[in-house]
Amino acid sequence: MISHRDRNAQRIAALDERAEALRLKPGMGIADARAMHPTLDIVEADPQADLRLLESLADWCDRYTPLVALDNTDGLFLDITGCTHLFGGEHAMLDEILARFFHQGFDVRTGIASTAGAAWAAARFRGRCIVKLGEEEALLAPLPLAALRLEPTIRGSLESVGLRTVGAVLAAPRAPLVRRFGAALLLRIDQALGRQNEAVSPRLPIAPLSVERHLAEPIILIDDIERLVFLLAAALKTDLERRDEGARTVALLLFRVDGVVSRLVVGTSRSMREPRLILKLFQEKLTAIAEDFDAGYGFDLVRLAILATAPFDMHQADLTDAVEDSEENLALFADRIRARLGEGAVLKPIAVESHLPERAVAVIPYWQDAPQRISPPKKPAGPKELPSAVPFQPERPIRLFQAPEPVEVPASEIPDGPPRQFRWRRALHRIAKVEGPERVAAEWWRKEEPTRDYFRIEDTDGRRYWLYRQGFYDASKPPPRWFMHGVFG
Amino acid sequence: MAINAVARDTVFALRRQIAKIEGTLSERLEAPAGLDADRMLVRRSGVAESHGLLATGADHFDAALNGGLPRAALTEFHGAETRDAGIVAGFALALAGLLLKTAETPAPVLWVGTAEIFREAGFPYARGLETGFGIAPENLLYAEAPKVTDALWIAEEAAGLTALSAVVLELRGNPDRLDLTATRRLHRRAQAAGRPVFLLRQAALAEPTAAPVRLVVAPAPATLRNTMAGPLEGTIGRQGIAVAISKSRAAQPGQFTLEWNPDERTFLDRKHAGATHQQPWDIQKRAEDPVAVVPLPSSGTDPAAAARPVLAFPPRQPPPIGDQPSRPQRPAHRRA
Repeated sequence: MISHRDRNAQRIAALDERAEALRLKPGMGIADARAMHPTLDIVEADPQADLRLLESLADWCDRYTPLVALDNTDGLFLDITGCTHLFGGEHAMLDEILARFFHQGFDVRTGIASTAGAAWAAARFRGRCIVKLGEEEALLAPLPLAALRLEPTIRGSLESVGLRTVGAVLAAPRAPLVRRFGAALLLRIDQALGRQNEAVSPRLPIAPLSVERHLAEPIILIDDIERLVFLLAAALKTDLERRDEGARTVALLLFRVDGVVSRLVVGTSRSMREPRLILKLFQEKLTAIAEDFDAGYGFDLVRLAILATAPFDMHQADLTDAVEDSEENLALFADRIRARLGEGAVLKPIAVESHLPERAVAVIPYWQDAPQRISPPKKPAGPKELPSAVPFQPERPIRLFQAPEPVEVPASEIPDGPPRQFRWRRALHRIAKVEGPERVAAEWWRKEEPTRDYFRIEDTDGRRYWLYRQGFYDASKPPPRWFMHGVFG
Repeated sequence: MAINAVARDTVFALRRQIAKIEGTLSERLEAPAGLDADRMLVRRSGVAESHGLLATGADHFDAALNGGLPRAALTEFHGAETRDAGIVAGFALALAGLLLKTAETPAPVLWVGTAEIFREAGFPYARGLETGFGIAPENLLYAEAPKVTDALWIAEEAAGLTALSAVVLELRGNPDRLDLTATRRLHRRAQAAGRPVFLLRQAALAEPTAAPVRLVVAPAPATLRNTMAGPLEGTIGRQGIAVAISKSRAAQPGQFTLEWNPDERTFLDRKHAGATHQQPWDIQKRAEDPVAVVPLPSSGTDPAAAARPVLAFPPRQPPPIGDQPSRPQRPAHRRA
């Protein structure tokens, strides 16, 4: 039995058949239940864990249709339009779903109908029935109002005027119903009867292309999975060629026999078709997760889905095929590292226009394109324009600390001058030469940041540092702090 | 290049004998024309490529290295302490800048490091690399690996790519994974691809590796800035780099002080540059003689930049006599 806290009282949230047999009901106080049956086993409800379980079930139901949606906290919608023939018709599909859930240890109620509302009602109030097109009304009429997915307040007021079944509401004239109970009631009725469309939004975006293979004998070995990935990728290649596209994001879904679904996603820097290369990326991914990869009793369904595509630029190699496409090799190299080590493994710097040194360079993942707005467009050089002078480039350190490290400056020359010695990482550095200050202020729209005076400093051994003082000396304020921002090479 | 393997073996055996007679190393003998096999011949699409050496431009240093650093090999750079990471990386990146300068189509330089070293020694800063070594941001790639094993894997994969102009692998200390086998794998791949792999080892002890050359890099005091009126007191000019050849098959051990010229992008021998050993800068001098510092463009082609009021350090006005700062305004060491 599961309890939850409702309005400051512990109440029964859910209970199994044996508890039901003891005449306990959901909503009953735990104290009352304990008084009746002191030996009850009560567990606190955990909605997060319930949701996780439901999501993993939704993942697993992906094997029947890509359109799986969550229904509140206790149901799943599967849009099986056009999928039933793959499983031998609606009856066979229903049987298979029930059998598989039963073997996983779940007790499920199912219903198939041509509208989401009717299927919901069929699953909850009939169980294991298939409602044909046009039979919705016959199904709903004898059912209680709860079958219409109504708000409890509307339901209560309908019942108070004697409308206790769906049939009674359907028989009543529509206009007074709207006036009295609002448009939501008729919307639900129309949705259940198919007069109005109801959108069931799937949990995951639908992959433009996907291929899968059902296996009679579950596979366990990583080698077998890799071989299968290659075959599936080869099957996808023709589809991609027909669409004149290449894959940018590929997902591999491994359905384990006991219902666990592993989802491996790899991204590519440029659109890709070659099964060999797709396999290579998945090999890296499988190597990366090799330690906590659990094949269990094996996988009985393997699906390769292309989640994002991009135009594929064909280019002709010369006849000898001698010139290697080095750019492509580099992209593949970056993708493999990304597949194994994660998104931020290969980075590229982008120059950004900013005075602040740490903002002047943005470091972005290799496969991302630089945002357009960070640098203004270059003016086209007019015929009269003189060749512009070499832009002034101030000397900058070659390494920058991601967070400037505070240094202790026991004594500086005249208040705003450079330090004479400083202590950084507990070592005392004596200063031999100083250049500066170079005053760097934030852009005018960032007024809150204090200005910095940067000094290039060489210690007695010849190491060069980039120190700055944040703010100015002011008698009324605490003395400004010094920071180490970078080292020169 | 149509010398078969047997003939080449014979030539090498003869070279070794000659070297023995002359009392030198066979690597130091002049290489016969058309036979550059010691530096690995790579046949790619039927054409043999000779990789040769990367001359730094500093004559004494190049001569000691018998022509320069090998282009297609693993080269080790050691720094004694983590705070020397700037100068060690600077030296290697300057070499990469040299490579880019001579390359027809510049290819990216990949800098691989563990998260630890990037946190301890600072993350590479593209602006500084551009102004200092001429490596444009589009020719830079970084790879940050969580562990040494991953960094080695990335470097190994990258070393075999011809799409990169150089691979810089930076590690700290003496990790177990960086053994003879790992360095040998890096070296073989570098040889096959014809690209250098620079292994930067910060705060590490020398241990046996497969790298043919190991250099120990340390900072040396910079020269003064060269201005119109000669060297200017109290400025920091070109960085000095103290390089010791600690291991090389061809070279003798030696200690050199080099200077990197960021404008010409070349190394100079400190003795050739004729730098005087300057006095430590007297701090008081600046207050007496405030001077706006304008760096002299060394290439002599850029008067426009100097004419602009760039970063002329503003001369600070000495405070009027008798106008003493109040006690809390004074720096701590002068508070009476």
